[in-house]
Amino acid sequence: MESVHFREDDKRLYFINRYLKLKEKIREIRILALTGITEAGSGHPGASFSAAEIMGSLYFQIMNVDISNPRLRQRDYFINSKAHSAPGYYATLSLAGSFPKEEMKTLRKLNSRLQGHPVRYSEYQKHHSVPGIEYSGGSEGIGLSVSIGLCLANRLDKQDNTVYCLLGDGETNEGQVWEASMAASKFKLDNLVAILDRNKIQQDGFTEDIMPIDPIKEKWSSFNWDVVEVNGHKIEQLVPELLNRPPNKPKIIIANTIKGNGIKHMANNPQWHGKAPSKKHLPLLIEELEGEYLISPSIIAGSTGIEEKSLINKIELAEKFGADMIHLDVMDGKFVPNTTFSFDVIKNLRGITKLPFDAHLMIQSPDSYLDSFIDAGCDIITTHSEVCNGEKEFEKMSAKLISNGISPGLAINPATDLPGWIYSHLDDLDVLIIMSVNPGFAGQKFIPEVLPKMKNLIPKLRENGYTGYIEADGGIDQSTIESCFEVGCRIFVMGNAIFGSEDIDKRISETKFKLDSHLEQTLLANSQKLNIREDWIKGRKTILDRYEIKSV
Amino acid sequence: MKNDLYSLNTTNEIRFSDMRSAYGESLVNLGKKYPNIVCVGGDTTDSLKTKKFGEMFPDRLFNVGIAEANLVSIAAGLAIAEKISFASTYAAFIPGRCLDQIRNAICYPNLDVKIVVSHAGLSVGPDGASHQQIEDISIMRSLPNMRVLVPADAPSVKKLLENIVQIPGPFYVRLARPSTEELYPEETDFEIGKGKVVTDGADLSIFACGTMVSASQKASDTLKKEHGISCRVIDMYSIKPIDTDLIYKCAKETGSLISVEEHNVVGGLGSAISEVTSDICPTFVRKIGIKDKYGESARDEEIDSLLDKYGLSPKEIVRNAVELNKREKK
Repeated sequence: MESVHFREDDKRLYFINRYLKLKEKIREIRILALTGITEAGSGHPGASFSAAEIMGSLYFQIMNVDISNPRLRQRDYFINSKAHSAPGYYATLSLAGSFPKEEMKTLRKLNSRLQGHPVRYSEYQKHHSVPGIEYSGGSEGIGLSVSIGLCLANRLDKQDNTVYCLLGDGETNEGQVWEASMAASKFKLDNLVAILDRNKIQQDGFTEDIMPIDPIKEKWSSFNWDVVEVNGHKIEQLVPELLNRPPNKPKIIIANTIKGNGIKHMANNPQWHGKAPSKKHLPLLIEELEGEYLISPSIIAGSTGIEEKSLINKIELAEKFGADMIHLDVMDGKFVPNTTFSFDVIKNLRGITKLPFDAHLMIQSPDSYLDSFIDAGCDIITTHSEVCNGEKEFEKMSAKLISNGISPGLAINPATDLPGWIYSHLDDLDVLIIMSVNPGFAGQKFIPEVLPKMKNLIPKLRENGYTGYIEADGGIDQSTIESCFEVGCRIFVMGNAIFGSEDIDKRISETKFKLDSHLEQTLLANSQKLNIREDWIKGRKTILDRYEIKSV
Repeated sequence: MKNDLYSLNTTNEIRFSDMRSAYGESLVNLGKKYPNIVCVGGDTTDSLKTKKFGEMFPDRLFNVGIAEANLVSIAAGLAIAEKISFASTYAAFIPGRCLDQIRNAICYPNLDVKIVVSHAGLSVGPDGASHQQIEDISIMRSLPNMRVLVPADAPSVKKLLENIVQIPGPFYVRLARPSTEELYPEETDFEIGKGKVVTDGADLSIFACGTMVSASQKASDTLKKEHGISCRVIDMYSIKPIDTDLIYKCAKETGSLISVEEHNVVGGLGSAISEVTSDICPTFVRKIGIKDKYGESARDEEIDSLLDKYGLSPKEIVRNAVELNKREKK
């Protein structure tokens, strides 16, 4: 099989600026939105959660916006036509610097700037709006037409900015959407990118029961739009499509999403279209959101070896069966006794998947090779503390990685202490790998002494303001993963636990089931502490059943 | 009173011209002066005369076909990008079909969209009731931030347009289809929020708008000659904001008031005047308009008879004025 190389001009399309930081921001969007909704006692959590990755990617990756200068003529525009996603939108704007986070608690209340549906910000509406809102939504079906007006004006003014319009799928019941669809292709608006939040639920139920909109791709294609389909919760799929504008026609991204994604009992449940959860449940819901984890299979594992062909095969299987990232163990035969592959192979692999590349450099003098690994298309580059020549070198490397849009990581071996200087650089660290084997080979046994080390380190890091990820790497399998999750790891490198058997699908799904049911148990136990156990069980019944957790 | 009095066209020759051509011409002139003026039309650019603007500025006129909701919303988008955005088609379709869009996408955010419609009222003629827009003043007047203008002739159309492009925010400008008598010389100024006394009088005040201004003048001549009633006729081209001071003054000076409009008597000019009088100077307001029903077709040469049938002719105005005057005397 021939490996796919990406062209130089395509490179930008695979590029996500600090992938792990963006994940963090999106988690924060959900938490902040939920905080507002529970405080208000009403609002639309489902719509906010299905669109969180879309809005997060737009505001923190794609759009040229400056909240402090919201009238900049060259800015990209975001027209939120599905305006009932207001809580998520406000949360995004707040994190982008529009207003203080605490203000989310005024959502939907009297005298608040955060109205039930967003209001265009202007001198005239400044008491009912916040900087950055371009469009007053609330009545469905209008935003795409307004976006067309903006695109026509931008073209007239010879501006090359983009107008992004977020549409709800239920919203496309409105006839005006199709008037606009026709007009956008008439005017050949290649400066318009619409995103359809295809969560398949509208207020009264499932879209295909209330008013079927499928075959949705064909509909837009026949209106002469460029149509692409992505998983709307995968930023690595969204970002390239948001960036790429085809010539001479408007583009729509069908983002397949899950309404209420992030909170299991709300997910894909029409009941939660416009209902607020109880304020008492908020701590548990935040705990659930903070429980989001990433599975990062290490492709050096398994019996098929590390020939490029085998690596490609493993990547394809991992992606197919729901892995979140690809862990790349780079070994040089010097820092560790074994040798695997280097940047040239990574570069060859880059084109076959959009999954983020989580490169773990177990090499001497990583500093000298950093450019090549950056060029190879890694999303995360982790270097070892043992070969890092002190604070200055880390500072230099992380600065280089950050300026190239790569999430910087630091790894420590089981016997290595976390260097004290890292506490002055926590903002420049996106992931910390606390190794639970001595690196060098796949298939080693988990060293249990690492758990107390994690238990001690992680809270200390959090107290000092570290918001990044902790990655568990070494001997992670069904028997060890829960305890690592328990102490705060949220990225799990798994080698033979996934590739050690033929049933890769089963291995990944079992792992997720294990982690999810562990979290479910924890939430149930914590509901007791909050004195809301009965109420929690009532709302959570189907989920408790799914994980076979006995609540009585 | 004399200062308020407007000096009308004094030449004996009566000139007729149509408001749409005045609109089309003005738009071209204004387009030269203001490069940020754009216009959105809906398959009626020929009829609305906005085509002329498109011929002069091909990249600034957008024809979106028969899709009025889309039309006004695109105009809103253009206004967000700092354009002065004109949205134009027949009155029958804009306010009714896309009230929601005008409300949410234009008035609520207070955007600089100028909605200019034609073919308002009964005088559309042959197209019949489906095309006779008689509810629009009422609808548009009820929207916060919206301002409603009903010019009486071509020169006032030009002047009003010159004014409104200098005032940010939404306007609704209502034009009629037929050619109308030119009442004003070109240099006349029209302030938004004011009314113009076109004929002075002491016994009654007739407030009219659009095509009904000249009809009211004719009625006033007859009333003077045949009934000895001295009527004051006021062109209320600005229905919102409305000239409260002038209404108050007329109520104090002439007593009873009459309103005349090519519009339903519910919610139009008469209602707007009554809202003022009931607040500050309780007075009889006799509302002459379409009596809460739909119109019908009439050939162009039958339009005067159509208006008469629906109570909007000079004859009907005279009848009402005489009746009201008698009642006053009692």
